[in-house]
Amino acid sequence: MRRIPKYLLLTITVIAAVAPVYWMLTISLKNEVDQFAVPPRWLLFTPTLEHYHDAFVTRSFGQYLITSAIVSIVSTVCALALGTLAAYSLARFRLPYNMDRKLSLWILSTRMFPAIVTAVPLFLMMRNLGLLDTRLSLILVYTTFNLPFVIWMMRGFFVEVPRDLEEAALVDGDSRLGALVRVVLPLVAPGLAATAVFCLIVSWNEFLFALVLTQTDAAMTLPVGIAGRVTQYEIKWGVMSAAGTVAMLPILIFALAVQRYLVRGLSLGAVKG
Amino acid sequence: MVKSKRFSSAVSSRSDLRLAYLFLTPAVLILLALTIYPLFYSVTVSLQSDSANGPHWSLANFQRLLSDNFFLSAMAHTFVYAASALICEFLLGLGLALMLNSRIRGRSIFRATLLVPMMLPAVVVGVVWRLMLNPNFGAINGTLKGFGVDTESLTWTASPRLALFSVIIVDIWQWTPFVFLVLLAGLQAIPQEPYEAARIDGSSRWQTFRYVTMPLLKPAILIALLLRTMDLLRVFDQIFILTEGGPGFATETISLYIYRTAFRFFDFGYAAAMSFVLLAITNVISVVYIRFLQARETT
Repeated sequence: MRRIPKYLLLTITVIAAVAPVYWMLTISLKNEVDQFAVPPRWLLFTPTLEHYHDAFVTRSFGQYLITSAIVSIVSTVCALALGTLAAYSLARFRLPYNMDRKLSLWILSTRMFPAIVTAVPLFLMMRNLGLLDTRLSLILVYTTFNLPFVIWMMRGFFVEVPRDLEEAALVDGDSRLGALVRVVLPLVAPGLAATAVFCLIVSWNEFLFALVLTQTDAAMTLPVGIAGRVTQYEIKWGVMSAAGTVAMLPILIFALAVQRYLVRGLSLGAVKG
Repeated sequence: MVKSKRFSSAVSSRSDLRLAYLFLTPAVLILLALTIYPLFYSVTVSLQSDSANGPHWSLANFQRLLSDNFFLSAMAHTFVYAASALICEFLLGLGLALMLNSRIRGRSIFRATLLVPMMLPAVVVGVVWRLMLNPNFGAINGTLKGFGVDTESLTWTASPRLALFSVIIVDIWQWTPFVFLVLLAGLQAIPQEPYEAARIDGSSRWQTFRYVTMPLLKPAILIALLLRTMDLLRVFDQIFILTEGGPGFATETISLYIYRTAFRFFDFGYAAAMSFVLLAITNVISVVYIRFLQARETT
């Protein structure tokens, strides 16, 4: 009997969390009569894919999607490559004057800057360099703000690898680099994969820099493309919802894939969860 | 303890150090070029003002801050937004975590559904809630009408009175799951022994909560609050999509005002000056939180 309130609470929470998203999904599949029905039709309506066709074939959302994918993947690869090496050094080596500790904290602090603080000067710098409205500018910026995250996450995973394993490889005649590639990296592979997925999610979702640094279809990402249409006077709700649903789906799949590391990732490695 | 500390502070061998510097240099250079350099660049931008003879050095941008009512009201909105969302998210998240910190069926499904709001792109959150809150065909007013409620005055994000409240509700919807997950992880890391000791001592449920759970949960609470506070103070994306700071100025937070100043009015100097105020505030608050965290660790 004591369990009933608990399950009632659970059900309400689940509905509250999911219903708004489900509502958008139904709008993307409804014709315009069903969309504006009062009272709202939650379950019964005739599904149509016309809004998806309209958004991704007739309008340029297909191109935004491609830009989003390219920018997210390339910046994630760059941040992982650079960040993993730096993280390994910070986890394994003691630098003189406690530099490894100071460096780690400095790297973490760069992550704490509010985005708008660097958005203003980065816009001016990119304008001076002629990089405004290019995918390259977004790749550079996303690599930069994923770097501190990769370094902190991977540093945590490297610290958890017992030193003895690595030392054994060194005794067997491996070089530091050989031990890193053959012994350590395979052990941290799950952590590396989770970190990569987090970077993909953050880059894919990013809005402010994409809004500031791009202006035309040439480099616009999906979030900026959607925002540009939402704030217009005459809003095509079906098209918006279709684009929103497509922007959301890869993220939900990714999030489910890294569930186990979710708390750790969201707290920058502070809570092991 | 002392011995292990001395051992770990022994500087690595010279060949290891060479490798360490090689590995660290690219990452450090990128961070210097794209976060530290822009910050200094921003300082010079904020210290220049235009005049008839071209730009010159002055403190005009910082002096303007004090008499700019739009800036002060944007600050007020930011604090109201941050404080109310933080309190609600914390209380709801803690309540849920305490209730669900036990064996329940379907827990993994529950956790998975809670991920949905917080992983969504902010833009999608904006679209979702524009659809929910639309006064004419939105699901909320539509459902209320179905129950016979008069929704004439419930225009949510279009009403100067309800707009700030509406965007706060959206934030609570999206981020309570985050607080919940961090606190649940914290609760599950607490060992059983203190609870057994409390039971043997005959503590009441409230005493156990107050003197066992809360102190041991404090690090997780502080981390959740720190990360949420930082995000709340710089909130931009959802509000931009939901209201663009309107109607009028009703939901204009500091990040939105900086954005408007820089990219609508092209007054980069003043925008830079305001962004340093935001940076200073977030810095001070994070230092306070980190002090509290470290105080926990040393005792």
